[in-house]
Amino acid sequence: MSPGLADLCRTARMPGLIFYMAWSDIRARYKRSVLGPLWITLSTAIGVVGMGFIWSALFKIDRTTYIPMLTVGLILWQFMSACINESTTAFTRQANIIRNLNLPLSLYPAQLVLRHVLNLAHNIPLFFIVALILGVHFNAHMLMAAPALLLVVLNLYWMSLLIGTLGARFRDLEYLVSMVMPLIMFMSPVMYRPGALPSFGKYMWFNPLADMIEIVRYPLLGTPTPMFIYAINIGMLAIGGALTFALFNAKRNRIAFWV
Amino acid sequence: MTALLTFDDVTIQYPIYNSRNMSLRNQLIRIGTGGRIETEAGHVQIVTALRGATFEIRQGDAVGLIGHNGAGKSTLLRTMAGVYTPMHGRITRQGRVATMLDLGAGMDPDLSGYENITRMSMLLGLKKAEIAANLADIEAFTELGNFLQLPVRTYSAGMTTRLLFAVATSTKPDILLVDEMFGTGDAEFQHKAKARMENLLQSVGIFVFASHSMETVLQYCNRFFFLEHGTIKEIGREDIKAG
Repeated sequence: MSPGLADLCRTARMPGLIFYMAWSDIRARYKRSVLGPLWITLSTAIGVVGMGFIWSALFKIDRTTYIPMLTVGLILWQFMSACINESTTAFTRQANIIRNLNLPLSLYPAQLVLRHVLNLAHNIPLFFIVALILGVHFNAHMLMAAPALLLVVLNLYWMSLLIGTLGARFRDLEYLVSMVMPLIMFMSPVMYRPGALPSFGKYMWFNPLADMIEIVRYPLLGTPTPMFIYAINIGMLAIGGALTFALFNAKRNRIAFWV
Repeated sequence: MTALLTFDDVTIQYPIYNSRNMSLRNQLIRIGTGGRIETEAGHVQIVTALRGATFEIRQGDAVGLIGHNGAGKSTLLRTMAGVYTPMHGRITRQGRVATMLDLGAGMDPDLSGYENITRMSMLLGLKKAEIAANLADIEAFTELGNFLQLPVRTYSAGMTTRLLFAVATSTKPDILLVDEMFGTGDAEFQHKAKARMENLLQSVGIFVFASHSMETVLQYCNRFFFLEHGTIKEIGREDIKAG
């Protein structure tokens, strides 16, 4: 079996360890705080309230429409940007374990993404609270948010593996990515919908993060998702996943020397 | 399972990247300038840490690795553990491996001693029930008492060694790989570690131990590998005694 495939198969056989490690990271992080991971919820809530009032006035959009839209955008952006930012050090941060134990390397990006899924789980209730207060109509479309989120998570996994591998070899990537991400936030439909942009809104779909936000946002706001957004997300998973696998397969055995 | 570890013509080479090679900018400059400064920016030093290693370690062997700093002892241990994959050669490994290489490996300094016992045992492949069964033994061996409830970052090097040693040995490995690390413990720990080690050597299939202390190596081991510049030579007990 090729090194990359063997590695991924080993990771797939240890879901318990991945979950334990992700949870133990979160526990270590919030060890001595009173609110613990609820800080994530609180900071998002403050962001939603603060930005919601100002930006809805600025964009001249009704608050009951704007704030739920913004809430989904912010929650997803936090999730995705945290995954991407931390992925640059997915392997280097774990050097201590990688250099001592024979564990599959694809475990670490999985641990990282799962940790942020757990963080995301602290934010999702916030959307439903906002939706209840502002009277968003609950309907069956919302159920599609679950498979959509799964697609986003799978896409983030290959991105994390790719960025982690490159970041282990090229240490500048960490700083480059953390510099570029805030910029990308304004170029992504976090605080607005792609349709709000006059003529060049259609180019927005070339931004993978835009597709990943909208695939979850459409159903959560109770609207049907256009088919092309599914197509782009699935295509991205197929092509990105294949390219990442090719790189990981070629370089898997070098990573232990790089970290 | 009978433990077995064989190396057939194993060579480990690794690149040493300095900040210039590690940076994306220099890779881009290389492309941009058409390779003119290739010699400077593209220069990667290749270290051959292990050269044509061939040996077979069977059930019941306790191998002592000796050699100067940088002779390749740690690289050999990491290759045995499966951390480093060789570019040439074949390795056969049978049995569960436990390692004690770097101090504090796999520990999270912010978590308590108890939480780290679970964390490290999970990393070493144990199940929750097995970890619970080992706990009393680990508590007794480490003698850390209430310190086990404190974060590991408050521990001294010796206390960390105790914990790491207790956990690694509690996993009942078939192959145990140890880099010099008893040095940090106090006399009482040395004594207890020795007793536990001897006990363990009854059950562990293969034991490999790197050390600068000839005394310790002679005490624990029945085979001796001398490493020099990445090549391995098997020597006898008398050779060590003779220096």
